[in-house]
Amino acid sequence: MEQQLTPEQSLKLIESMIGQAKRSFSRLSFYFLLWGILLTGAMLATYLLRHQPDAWGQGAPWGIAGVLGGIISAIHGARQGRHVTVSNPMDGLIGWLWSSFVITMIIMIVASVVDRQDPGPTITLLTGIPTFMTGQILRFRPLIVGGILFWAAGIAMHFTGDQLALTLLYCGAMLLGYIIPGFMLKRQEDGLRAA
Amino acid sequence: MAFAPLDPVLHNQLRLAVMSLLVAVDNADFNYLLEKTGATRGNLSVQITNLKEAGYIEVTKSFKDNYPNTACRVSSQGLAAFETYVAAIKGYLEK
Repeated sequence: MEQQLTPEQSLKLIESMIGQAKRSFSRLSFYFLLWGILLTGAMLATYLLRHQPDAWGQGAPWGIAGVLGGIISAIHGARQGRHVTVSNPMDGLIGWLWSSFVITMIIMIVASVVDRQDPGPTITLLTGIPTFMTGQILRFRPLIVGGILFWAAGIAMHFTGDQLALTLLYCGAMLLGYIIPGFMLKRQEDGLRAA
Repeated sequence: MAFAPLDPVLHNQLRLAVMSLLVAVDNADFNYLLEKTGATRGNLSVQITNLKEAGYIEVTKSFKDNYPNTACRVSSQGLAAFETYVAAIKGYLEK
């Protein structure tokens, strides 16, 4: 990298380097896979425990999934942070987007428990926002489609009280919105790392 | 019409590559710049020093996991110089 540049070469070099830097995102697939699997498990457990007394049939699987997911995410994030060599402004934006979603979700859950309402349909609907936006920021179509599917599932869940239908809609949205895009994103991230 | 002179600090392949990477991110480590530019450690180190002395980048040295770590970010002076350079290059190409 020593020779003098023509204007064309300069512009090409600038475009190439900026293009590479813009694709330097943190690896996010782990979180989609982790939360996709945990929350699907929590929904299936809730269905299986539906005839149990209150705590075990309703809240416990979600509490366990939330605490477990939070701890694993924090440990993974701390480890990942030690190996990060670049800080992309879009990483910060994605981080704040998901943080604001988590805060909204916690408020919604508390409000729903107080009102004795099922928070599932509203939270599924809300999940569409950060999923869709993350897909747009990363320019990753499976997450964009995933976000739209969360919206569709959330709307459908509002119009059914059937426990099996709710479970299938939620797990289907998790599979198509988090787990499958998570696997596809992981493959893309592995490919970028190898390149 | 006269051509705008090109900034000699930026009109160098490696220094321009480093600046182009840094304008698109908040900050980047030496190893990231090394990986993306494909330069040698010695050459990259020299060019980072040149950019720092020109006031175009800010360099922070610290320790990460007990290893020395060099982080670079574009200064406001560097960003202005980069924008002027890009405008000048476009001027050359349009004429």
